[in-house]
Amino acid sequence: MDKIKLLIQVLILISVSPLVSGFIKKIKNIIRMRRGPGLFQPYYNMAKLLQKEEVISENTSWIFRSTPVIVACSSVCALFLVPVFNTSVAFTQMGDLIFLMFMLALGRFFLALAGLDAGSAFGGMGSSREMFISAFVEPAAVMAVFAVSLSAGSTSLSVISAAGGTRLSSLIASAALFIVTLAETSRIPVDNQETHLELTMVHEAMVLEYSGRSLALIEMAAHIKQIIFLSVISLLLPLSGVLFFIIKIAVLAAAVAVVEISMAKMRLFRVVDLLVFTFVLSMIAVIVSGMGV
Amino acid sequence: MGIEEKVSEEFKKAGIIPLKIESPFADEVYIDVKAEDFKKTCIFMHKRFNSPVMAYFACDETATANDGAFIIYCTFESIELKNWLFIRYEIPAGKGEYVSIAKEIYSASLFEREMSEMFGLFPDKSPDKRSLRLHEEVWPKGQFPLRKDFLREIKTSVSASRYVFNRIAGEGIFEIPVGPVHAGIIGPGHFRFSVAGEPVVNLEIRLGFTHRGVEKLFENRSPAECLKLAENICGDSAFSYSLAFCCAVEKVYAVTVSENAEFQRGIFLELERLYNHIADIGGIAVDVGFSFPAAYAAVIKEKILEVNNEIAGSRYLKGINVIGGIKSGIGITQRKYLIDSMEEIEKDFRELKSMLLSSVSFMDRVDGTGILDKNTAEDLGVTGTAGRASGISMDLRADFPGIYLDNDFKIVTQSDGDVLARLNLRINEVEASIGIIKKFLNILGNENSIHSGNTNARAGYGLGYVENWRGPVLFWLDINKGGLIERCKIVDPSFRSWQGLALAVPGNIVPDFPVCNKSFNLSYPGNDL
Repeated sequence: MDKIKLLIQVLILISVSPLVSGFIKKIKNIIRMRRGPGLFQPYYNMAKLLQKEEVISENTSWIFRSTPVIVACSSVCALFLVPVFNTSVAFTQMGDLIFLMFMLALGRFFLALAGLDAGSAFGGMGSSREMFISAFVEPAAVMAVFAVSLSAGSTSLSVISAAGGTRLSSLIASAALFIVTLAETSRIPVDNQETHLELTMVHEAMVLEYSGRSLALIEMAAHIKQIIFLSVISLLLPLSGVLFFIIKIAVLAAAVAVVEISMAKMRLFRVVDLLVFTFVLSMIAVIVSGMGV
Repeated sequence: MGIEEKVSEEFKKAGIIPLKIESPFADEVYIDVKAEDFKKTCIFMHKRFNSPVMAYFACDETATANDGAFIIYCTFESIELKNWLFIRYEIPAGKGEYVSIAKEIYSASLFEREMSEMFGLFPDKSPDKRSLRLHEEVWPKGQFPLRKDFLREIKTSVSASRYVFNRIAGEGIFEIPVGPVHAGIIGPGHFRFSVAGEPVVNLEIRLGFTHRGVEKLFENRSPAECLKLAENICGDSAFSYSLAFCCAVEKVYAVTVSENAEFQRGIFLELERLYNHIADIGGIAVDVGFSFPAAYAAVIKEKILEVNNEIAGSRYLKGINVIGGIKSGIGITQRKYLIDSMEEIEKDFRELKSMLLSSVSFMDRVDGTGILDKNTAEDLGVTGTAGRASGISMDLRADFPGIYLDNDFKIVTQSDGDVLARLNLRINEVEASIGIIKKFLNILGNENSIHSGNTNARAGYGLGYVENWRGPVLFWLDINKGGLIERCKIVDPSFRSWQGLALAVPGNIVPDFPVCNKSFNLSYPGNDL
């Protein structure tokens, strides 16, 4: 029974994940005094991409062709570890938060390889930047995870969210994870999803060679990754239950949109300052949780 | 003392004996020199008047003149004498080489490359022999389009020769080729970055992809016919191009434009400056991912375009100029509307300005990015907006004031030469332009006679010039006895400034290039012609 519930939960999250992106875009456009595309535009994009012919460079290897599948699978796999509607034991046996982080890192690893594979200048540039940024993001994320695990006594997400209660340490950790989310979902101030300028791209430059179905898979993986991060943060925040979960996701998404609107993208090397700050924030969360608050 | 005497005084000091000095117009002096004196004279003029080579071009008179020759003109601007100085000499038709001045005056080098491919006149010992607009890959060798004997039927074809980029070698240095096809809707240009990781070591820009043979298109057509052509060379500067063209024709025809029409032209010129500067300010915000002010700037720009449409019937200010004046003036009721709109735009712009300048994340991106220092800018001959941001105090509106004279026009400059300086310069110029428009409207009052002067066709040559939002736009026209254009030389402010961009970028990181590029916002069609 648990397994079926789990499967249903994952399917629901996958199907609403593009909506979150559409929602963020909508809020941004409203603030910018524009009408913007509709909430369901990401679905239409997906449908369009699925129908398109795919162009694959002759110079690519199997890595380029298998990466979209690997990335999508790793994201879906990570999604299985997020207990949103059901915090039963089934999750604990499958893997913990650290496994989730590594699952996402696996997808990124292959994306970076695929960026290099086609041999275009932009892809290589994107891969190098992505790895540069992730070298700072991952420690911050893992530290934040440690902070919450320390107070819950387990690295399993279901145990952590079941522990409940509001702790200062998990609030600080979720603040750190929020910045991590911005970086991981290629948002301003770290990256800019909306830009057409190849030279400034990070994530987009890496996947510039993809088209058609492969691109659809990669985009889907990005939507899923985004909902994973938002879900993890909302699990650390107080108030549980399905309704509150939806509200929390909406508020977090709105916060992402507001951050994106209210500042310029940082200079590439300045991102290090932000991410080091995030790491320090996570460290503080660890210390605070060590103090038992 | 007349201008001829003043110039010959100067020559006496330099110890050069000119063949002839003539001044057909109050602001142009033509100085004929011997071929062997040419280089010496140019260097002297360049140093004495601290002017880059403003234009440097040839005319093919092998068919018309008695002795058959190419005439070379090298133009400097003297702010001190309030004159354009044309140093002129002849190259006999059979001789394909001439003395290069590019080693001594760097701002001449692009013009020399242009002359070699367009006329087959090759400078001796020229530092750079590569072609500029007629790409080796497709252009048939030995065809020189601006020569009179060029056949228009000649077709391009793929050839074996290749353009050679400057190569930077070293461990860890690699090249990033970008363009000529870009992701946005912009002109085509190829940018070759040599980078060491993210920092750019060298940037080479290759242009010419939108070369349409504009100067050739003018030939053998009447000025009236060419007005539309002049207007459509560069879409974002439609008004200033047609104005510069009209000025040149009016000069040759000796037409006096009524003061009223002059002021109205001034208003349109400033409107063009306004919408472009504001679009650029928004563009700088876009390129650093600061989307709210970018959207705000787009709203203001749209407002100005609507104003343009309302008062001129054209959003991009086309079809306003006629030779001798303007087609139909700004109506009395429209003037009230224009003043009100200016107030509104001023208010919105103040908002935009404070939004940008008070944002820490934005200032961090633009401050100190893409520095073009003054010496480099002077050597390259960077003029206009980009030049003034690097501290070069040159603006045709102040150098040759005309209608701006009694309106205490002041040149705006910045000293730092970075993206922020170019941004601040635009902000200051926008504020100044709004003031100028209001002032001109006041002067116009209810006066509404814009009778354009008689156009009595004459033969002759003359220079039309306008300081548009990018910088000085020059049109040199030679109209023959049949009333047709014999030669038209156009110099866009972007022509020399592109090299300024190429030298402002090294030392910055690759992702900062777009914002550097936007802060210059140079023209592809104006450069490629």
